[in-house]
Amino acid sequence: MSFPSGVFNTSYVQDMMILRTRSQRVVLCIFMLGLLCVPWVAGQFWVNMLCTIATTSVALMGLNILTGYCGQISVGNTGFMAIGAYTSAILAGQLGLPFWLCLPCAGLTAGVMGILFGLPSLKVKGLYLSLTTIAAQFIIIYLIKTPFEKVTGGAISLDVPPVSLAGYVFESEKQIYCLLMIVTFLMAFIFRNIIRSNVGRAFLAIHNNEIAAEAMGINLYRHKLLAFFIGCFYCGIAGSLLSVYSKVISPDDFTFSGSVWQLGMLIVGGMGTTLAPFLGAIFFTVLDEVVLVASPLISIVIPQLGAQVTASMMEMLFGLTILVFLVYQPRGLAHMWDIMKSFWSRWPFSY
Amino acid sequence: MITFIQLLFTGLSVGIVYSLVALGFVIIYKSSKIFNFAQGELVMVGAFVTWSFLSLFKMPLLPGFLLSLAIMGVVGYNIERFPFRRMIGQPILAMIMATLALAVFFKGLTLMLWSSYIGIRFPEVIAEKTIYVLGIPFSSLILLNFFLVLLLVIALSLLFHYTRIGLHMRAVAENQYVARSMGIRVTRVIAQSWALAAIVCTIAGFLFGYYRGIDFGLAQIGLIACVAGLVGGMESLKGAVVGGLIIGLAETLTGYYIGYNLKEVMPFIVMVVVVCFKPYGLFGLQKIERV
Repeated sequence: MSFPSGVFNTSYVQDMMILRTRSQRVVLCIFMLGLLCVPWVAGQFWVNMLCTIATTSVALMGLNILTGYCGQISVGNTGFMAIGAYTSAILAGQLGLPFWLCLPCAGLTAGVMGILFGLPSLKVKGLYLSLTTIAAQFIIIYLIKTPFEKVTGGAISLDVPPVSLAGYVFESEKQIYCLLMIVTFLMAFIFRNIIRSNVGRAFLAIHNNEIAAEAMGINLYRHKLLAFFIGCFYCGIAGSLLSVYSKVISPDDFTFSGSVWQLGMLIVGGMGTTLAPFLGAIFFTVLDEVVLVASPLISIVIPQLGAQVTASMMEMLFGLTILVFLVYQPRGLAHMWDIMKSFWSRWPFSY
Repeated sequence: MITFIQLLFTGLSVGIVYSLVALGFVIIYKSSKIFNFAQGELVMVGAFVTWSFLSLFKMPLLPGFLLSLAIMGVVGYNIERFPFRRMIGQPILAMIMATLALAVFFKGLTLMLWSSYIGIRFPEVIAEKTIYVLGIPFSSLILLNFFLVLLLVIALSLLFHYTRIGLHMRAVAENQYVARSMGIRVTRVIAQSWALAAIVCTIAGFLFGYYRGIDFGLAQIGLIACVAGLVGGMESLKGAVVGGLIIGLAETLTGYYIGYNLKEVMPFIVMVVVVCFKPYGLFGLQKIERV
């Protein structure tokens, strides 16, 4: 990282700070205040969009820890989100627990399930592991649909009660939006710090070479399971947030293709970077909206395309975008952002 | 008892279609170490293309079918050319993601081109009859299906062992560098294996779609075939066949005796159990890793 001239680190504390200069702090504060002001300035459309981005980016943070940093490929992300969503909805609706208890419980349940399905990672890796996480996805949705039908409502949707915190009920869109933003910020803060800790470094070492990491004294199994726990914990939180925001959940919200989309978002965001979850989520949510607006126009121009232009356009564009990124910019949007930043600060010199 | 034998046979005949798709999967994995998650979508697209030629353009069975095989072969060949040849040297995850992206792309394409045709079937080739073998009734279609696929599996293994292309593919699967130094064009062989896999998928799509109907659910078969390939061991053609049969049997038996919902996840449960005890599948090669 480069600093403006005149900024020096004179202690380790300074060196480890995330926000090093005053202008960084000011920009962050303005950005956060601006985000909190959005519901009062912009319309419903933008609030909904930002809510989607927030929940998705929390889920992507989990996936980033598990897949981007630790290298354990997971294609079952929405399955773990489903666990979080159902746990918090059931705890709040049927046991009447307050939200500040439901949220961590959702994370913990998802995390424990993550450890359970992470157990094969002790024996297999890479391609093989990706298939066991796909298995996790299908098995979890099956568990929700059939054996636990009585509490989850089976294949039919389950209503989520409004969130209450110490007697204060979050009902309007604006209140829920603020809650989502605060939780997302908190999770992002923890995420950034996990990555910088010894655990995060151990994850990176495992990603680069498992045997070398083990030789350096990293307990492979413990850290792999820990990665599964933390990753799925984040997914659980994301699921809980999703249930709060959409007010009604059903197993159909958590599909296999949803997991694939999340992995794709992370790839496009730039796997293994702090920014990736946010950039990926923003990119694809905006792309979604653009397709939603553009596809009726396309079907006017070419009416032979059939009834489902929107859905098919979305899928095709999504697939193509990922392929293009994989071939031409495998390091994703985060890398492009870095290039842009250095270009900005060094212009007109090339380096 | 009669029901059980019938179920057993239904399971085997479903399983052998899985085996066929799994074979395509293993062919690609062996030659290029790519796990092709778009296999099911290839089956789906293949079935739709074949249906278009046979029903939409009213072509006779044999030319229409061969033409669709040729088209899918070209599609498979170009899959290698566009994304994968440019991605050589990238990590496994990128490869997986590329195949997943391809799957999503194909799904979108199918949705765009064929979404207005619902509940379609292939034109009838042979009328279904009930045949009694040792006093047990079987559907003639299922029997025919079973033997056709069996024939195809045998033909594929013959291709691998006795033809030039098969020899090249085995050489590339063994070691790409050595194959290269022996004068084999590795990229072309890999593209050929993609084409072969796409053709095999189309045949599977035709056979499976014939008695099941053609819809977007056909893509599901791809994931189950991946599972079958994994259960059998990714390096082994024999493993793919055995894995497919095991998965087909497990699915059909649980579907009848326990419940429909469990039937859908049974392949995955079988796979997790197998992977926990034999991480490289039943006939797979144990990999030795070095720093």
